[in-house]
Amino acid sequence: MFFATYLRRELRRRMRQAIFVALGLAVGIGLVVTVSAASAGVKKAESSVLASLYGVGTDVTITGEAPQAKKRSANGQPPKGGTTIQGGPNGATICQDGKCENAAGKTISSLAPQYSPIKSAEVADVARLHDVAAAAGGLLLTDNTITFPKDFGKAGGSQPPTPSTVSVDGVAARHTALGPLSAASLTSGHSFSAADSDAHVAVVDSGYATSNNLKAGSTITVDSVKFKVIGIVRQPQSASPPDVYIPLEVAQGLKTGPLGVETGDVNTIYVTATSAADISVVQHEIAKLLPHATVTTAASLANEVTGSVANAAKLANDLGKWLAILVLIAAFAVASLLTMSAVARRVAEFGTLKAIGWRTRRIVAQVLGESVVMGVIGAALGVGLGFAGAAIISKVAPKLSANVPTSSGGFTQSQTAVGPGGVTHSSSPSSASHVVAVPLHPSITGSVIVLAVILAVAGGLLAGSFGSWRIARLRPVDALSQVA
Amino acid sequence: MYKLTGVTKLYQKGRRTVPAVRDLDLVIEDGEWLAVQGRTGHGKSTLLNLLGGLDRATQGTVELDGTDLGALRETQLTRVRAEKIGFIFQTFNLIPTLSAAENVEAALIPLKVGHADRQARVAAALDSVGLADRAAHLPSELSGGQQQRTAIARALVKEPKVLLADEPTGNLDEDTRDEIIGLLEHLWRERGLTLVLVTHDTSLARQAQRVGVMSKGRLTIKQDNRPGPRPETHPVTAGHDPVT
Repeated sequence: MFFATYLRRELRRRMRQAIFVALGLAVGIGLVVTVSAASAGVKKAESSVLASLYGVGTDVTITGEAPQAKKRSANGQPPKGGTTIQGGPNGATICQDGKCENAAGKTISSLAPQYSPIKSAEVADVARLHDVAAAAGGLLLTDNTITFPKDFGKAGGSQPPTPSTVSVDGVAARHTALGPLSAASLTSGHSFSAADSDAHVAVVDSGYATSNNLKAGSTITVDSVKFKVIGIVRQPQSASPPDVYIPLEVAQGLKTGPLGVETGDVNTIYVTATSAADISVVQHEIAKLLPHATVTTAASLANEVTGSVANAAKLANDLGKWLAILVLIAAFAVASLLTMSAVARRVAEFGTLKAIGWRTRRIVAQVLGESVVMGVIGAALGVGLGFAGAAIISKVAPKLSANVPTSSGGFTQSQTAVGPGGVTHSSSPSSASHVVAVPLHPSITGSVIVLAVILAVAGGLLAGSFGSWRIARLRPVDALSQVA
Repeated sequence: MYKLTGVTKLYQKGRRTVPAVRDLDLVIEDGEWLAVQGRTGHGKSTLLNLLGGLDRATQGTVELDGTDLGALRETQLTRVRAEKIGFIFQTFNLIPTLSAAENVEAALIPLKVGHADRQARVAAALDSVGLADRAAHLPSELSGGQQQRTAIARALVKEPKVLLADEPTGNLDEDTRDEIIGLLEHLWRERGLTLVLVTHDTSLARQAQRVGVMSKGRLTIKQDNRPGPRPETHPVTAGHDPVT
C-alpha cells in the first residue's frame, strides 16, 4: 500500500520525465511491433503465394524431370503418337502415326505431361520414408488444341493458328487435403470424394470457368473425353492455377501422346513431413530415393520468389529489425540516463530513508517499481502505436508482387512454330516466372505483444538497475551531506 | 547508553587526511540531553553521524547499549537505526511527494508494523506535535515549523531510545524556534529519551543537561546540569577516562 502510494506520488511528481521515458520506450516498442507485424504480413503473403503453388500442408513437392522430346525416326517420320504439320502448295498436311491428311479445317488435340513420369510404386516408396507423414501423386498435363483454318498453308492463306491450352491436373480424389486442391476454396458445387476416383468429373478453376462460361453441371472436354463439372474452385493469389482438376486415375487413363505416361504413372508427388523440423531430412531422403526427380520445399521455393514481396521481406527483416533495435537501444539509454538523473536528484531523499532505517533493497525496489511502471506504460503505448503502425501499413501499402518460378509445380507453356519444314507443336515445362499480386496485411500476434511487454519492462528494469546500482553504493552520510 | 572509546574519524580530502573527530572518549547516559556546540567544520555533525550509525569511526569504538556499532554489518546497522534511533535534520528532509502522515508512516515501514497499527501510531505522533489537522498536507503546504514538527513526529513515531538532532532550529525563525525547543524539551522529559542535539543556538543548548563544545575534533564539556555528583573536570583528551 505504502509502496504503491509512494510510487504513484513519485511518478506524478516526475510526470514529464515519466511521460518522456514511457514515450521513448513506446516508440521503440511500437517500432518493434510494427516491424514484426509487417514482417508477419510479408511472411503471410509469401505463404499464400507458396500455398497457391504448393497447397496447404504440402511440405515437399517432387516433380519428374523435364520431358525430352523424342527424336524423329531416320526417315523423318515423327515418333509414335507424334504429330507433324507440313505446309505445301496444296495446303497444310497433318501426319500422325504415319497417316497424313489435309489440315485445313481440322482440329487436333494433344495431351502432354508437363514432367517425366514417376512410377506409382515410387509414390508408395516416398510414403514409406521414415519422416514422411503422407504422400499423394498428381499428374500435370497440358491439353493443346489447334484448329486450322480452311485456307491454312495455301499461298496467301491464314497465319498459323494459336493453340488453345488447358492445364489439367490429375489429383488423387482420396487425398484432396494434400496437393493443389488443399489451398483452394470452393465457390460452387462440390469437390472430389473417394467415389469420384474413376468418374469422369472435373473441378474447374473459377477464372477458367468464367472465361468459358462454365458452372457446376456443365460439360467440358479434355483430350476429346467429356467430363462433368462438379465444382468451381478459387486458388489463393496464384496467377496460373490449373484450369481443370480431374481424378488422377482418370487422368492416367488419358492418351498422352509421344511424351506420354503409362497407366499408374504420376509426374508430381505431394509430401507432408512428420514435422516441420524434418522437412530437410525428408528432402534429402527423397533426393536419394529419386535421384532424377526435382525435389522442392517451401523454403527452397521461397528463395526463388522475387519481386516486391521478397524486397519487403528483406526490408522488414534487415532494415526494420535493425531500426527497431537501434530505437530500442536509444530508448533504453534515454530511460537509463533519466533514471540516473532522477536518482541523483533524490540522493538526499534516499539518504534520509536509509537514515530512518530503510534497507537498501527496499529503496531499490521502490525505484525499480517506478521504472517498471514506466516500462509497462511504455509497453501499452507501444503496442497501441504498433497497432496504429500496422493499420497504416495495411491501409497505404501497395499490393506486393511476387515473381514466382513456375518450374516447381507450375504449368507448361505450349509453343507452335511454323517454319519451312512445317509447323511444330510442342509443349515443355516452363522455367519462366509469373507475377502474383499479394495484399500486405500486417498481423500482430499475441507473442509479439508479449515480446513487446517483456522488452518494455526489461527496458524499465534496465533503467532502474542503473539507478539501483547508484543507490546501493550510496552511503547515508554522503547522501545527507549533499543536503547540508 | 552510548560509550565512545578512543574514537577518531579521519577524512581524506585530496592528498590530505583531515581529522574530524580526534581520540574521543564519551559516555552518554540513557535519558540524558547532551547539546554539542562548536564552529562549522569542527566535527559536530561527524560526531552525530557516528552516534547514529550513519558513519563508522576510523579508530575506536562507538557502543550503543553495549553493541559496537562499528562491528555491525550494514543491514544490522540499518536495523539499529530503524528501531532505536530517531533523526531530526536541519533541512527537515521530508519526502516532498508524501503527505505529513505518510512521511511519518515511512519511519514505520522498516519495522513491518501492520497497516492499522501504523495509522494509529502516525495519528498519535502527529497529535503529539500538534499537527493532527495537517496530516494530509504535503510538506510544500506546511510552514517551516510545521515541517520540522512533522520531522520530529517521524523521528518519534517508532518510539526510539535515542533522538539525534542536527541543528533542528537552524532553518526556523525565532518564534518557531522557541516552539520547537519547547516541543523537544517536552518530549524529552515526557518520553525519557536520550537526546543529542547539535546546535549553534546557545539558547537551545542551555536547555540541555550537558553542553559540550567541539573544537578541532575534540569535545570539551562546558556545562553539566545533571542531577547528582559529577566529576570535577570535564576535559576530553586522549588517554583519559571517558567523560561521564
